[in-house]
Amino acid sequence: MNDLSWTPPGPPPPMPVPPPMPVAFSGGRREFFHLVSRGAGLELITLGFYRFWLATDMRRHLWSNTHVDGDGAEYTGRGKELLIGFLVALAILVPVYLAYFLVGLEAERAQAFASIPLFLFFYLFGQFAIYRARRYRLTRTVWRGVRFWMSGSGWIYALQASLWGLLVLATLGLALPWREAALERYKMRHSYYGDLQGRFEGRGWDFFKRGWWLWLLTPFALYMAIFLPFVYGAFKAIEWRWWLSGIRFGDVRLESTLRKSELIGLYWKVIGWVVVLGIVFAIYLGLCAVLVSSMTATPIDEFFQSQEIVKSIPMLVLLGLGYLAFALAMNVVMRVYLMRDLWIRVLSSTIVHNIGAAANVSARGELANALGEGFADGLDVAGF
Amino acid sequence: MTMDDEASSPAPSAPGRTAAYFDGTSNKRRTVTLRLDYALVIMEDGARIASWTYDDIRRADSPTGLLRLSCITGQGLARLEIRDAALAAEVTARCPRLDENLPSRRGIAAIVGWSLAAATSIVLVVLFGVPLAAERLTPLVPDSFERRLGEVGDKQVSAVFSPTQCTNAAGQAAFEKLVGKLRESAGLDTSVQSKVVTTSPKIANAFALPGGRVYLFNELLAKAENADEVAGVLAHELGHVRHRDSMRELIHNGGSSFLIGLLFGDVTGSGALLFTSRTLVQSSYSRDAESNADSFAIETMHRLGRPAKPMGELMLRITGKEGKGITLLSSHPLTEDRLARMDKADSGLKQGPPLLSGAEWQALKGICGSTKT
Repeated sequence: MNDLSWTPPGPPPPMPVPPPMPVAFSGGRREFFHLVSRGAGLELITLGFYRFWLATDMRRHLWSNTHVDGDGAEYTGRGKELLIGFLVALAILVPVYLAYFLVGLEAERAQAFASIPLFLFFYLFGQFAIYRARRYRLTRTVWRGVRFWMSGSGWIYALQASLWGLLVLATLGLALPWREAALERYKMRHSYYGDLQGRFEGRGWDFFKRGWWLWLLTPFALYMAIFLPFVYGAFKAIEWRWWLSGIRFGDVRLESTLRKSELIGLYWKVIGWVVVLGIVFAIYLGLCAVLVSSMTATPIDEFFQSQEIVKSIPMLVLLGLGYLAFALAMNVVMRVYLMRDLWIRVLSSTIVHNIGAAANVSARGELANALGEGFADGLDVAGF
Repeated sequence: MTMDDEASSPAPSAPGRTAAYFDGTSNKRRTVTLRLDYALVIMEDGARIASWTYDDIRRADSPTGLLRLSCITGQGLARLEIRDAALAAEVTARCPRLDENLPSRRGIAAIVGWSLAAATSIVLVVLFGVPLAAERLTPLVPDSFERRLGEVGDKQVSAVFSPTQCTNAAGQAAFEKLVGKLRESAGLDTSVQSKVVTTSPKIANAFALPGGRVYLFNELLAKAENADEVAGVLAHELGHVRHRDSMRELIHNGGSSFLIGLLFGDVTGSGALLFTSRTLVQSSYSRDAESNADSFAIETMHRLGRPAKPMGELMLRITGKEGKGITLLSSHPLTEDRLARMDKADSGLKQGPPLLSGAEWQALKGICGSTKT
């Protein structure tokens, strides 16, 4: 195939294996901040309906600024698709909830609180939603004009996830690494980039070896909450690192060097902001109380002692407004730190090996609908 | 913006007109040159590989400093990437519908408008539709279903309060006599079961479950000073049974919770917001039900020739003065207002014989064993 006359003169041919390739991110923090604060405002005005478009805009920003081998990715999903997915999910969930209610009623008649195990059913539904939501997101991810896509069955996945979940429960969490490995194997085996099939090579045992000591520390951390961010941050860092390092697409291999301190620091920043916002909110409440008590000419200490404070309408209105502002600010903080900054920290620690193996991939695969995202929204579950 | 001469322009070789092209069938990056002709012509090695009509070109998401284009009539994911700012500006100027696919100010206004419309209709349904539905649906619910609900409630009451039924024989006889009189006066059949119970954390309360189970807590009995007080409370609970209030409230609260949850979705701190609005809606509904049950109690008592006011006095003794302030959040009307209403209703009442004799009343007070006589 190689014609000698085309070989350039001079140095010998390039290295057989290209050097490892870091993943770059080019989006500005200010831009993202602007996006989420505007989005939070619109979410408030639309009583939450804007969430579909905000989620889409955040993903578009994050995806299109992520560069692999010099080319930025692209997110082609749209807010309208999420809205439709939500409405379809609603149409399915409403009768399911009703049936759940009636079955629960019969169970309760036999034995008080016997309906609680029925909750498992919604766990199954939630796992289905996680799988299908990932499928939606993956099929909206385009790199170099070729999309990722996913096959497999959401219900088979949900069944596996639930059975593994029971095992994790029975082993008090010790089986978690093997659960994650098994589920990720299923997900990655059914993930493709064009005609390049994915697979997952992370092993549960490796994850366990790195994280078992955290399992021992968890009871202490739950007892002394101050240690919780450390334990959780360390756990998430180990999980991310293990997960990314196990991902393969054909001969392309990912590796992660994420350090625990990076995530622990991130979580402490969020906690710091929560404390600051909480203090601001408390000061605001104090000022409101003083204002209202001076307006009604009630001495301030009496105002607090009597139940008056919870019955005065101006106080409640001020409280409501302050609460909304507090909630919006919290939302912005969460999104900037726990979405964008987390994304960047994870990306900047990621290395792609042998990207050359993805040099000539043919497009394949169909788009999936947003039903899973709708379920995930209706059931309040999230996943990657 | 007009170009110099279109046909003979030696565009292919012009430097700065190169771009990267992905054809959408393979991920191979192809270096192409662009010719801005009657359409955007994409050339590779001097051969034309695609031409995009300017009207069909749309902007795709891209990192800053890069213009990424797609074409709605071409291969779906084919992308053209232009790094050179001057060339990008030139192409942009020729594509009139470049940003049509992206959310615009008008698009957002439409989202806001429709959201508000949806919110308004949900609020209207919650305020008017759901109470109407509860009103119309309740008579359609079969009694057997309501009794089942009652059994469920019974199981949960047992689990939560762990009540012990009081069965002192003399007290039980007095209680049954009292309930029997009230039931006759209220026109209810014998499917109504009532019992006096004692609970470990002392709660002064009485309530009715769907299907006609009335619970009277001993603590309430202990605070009562005469039979009319207890009779009034029982008549009030029988009012709930008669009006099937639990069933109605179940339908109403289920419907409104669902719709309000739908409205707020997972908006910022939905928990508190959801809780507040639900409480507001549901407590106003429950206040109506309470005042209807009061009317029922007044009528029932008057039919027996007994005043309703003692019931109000008993409640005032339990709750204390509630004072002024907002009543939006409370599930019951203010005790003072209820007392005043009963007092007014009692005027001109021709008193009949007492419901229980002094001995019977003492027996009822002692129904829970040896506590007080």
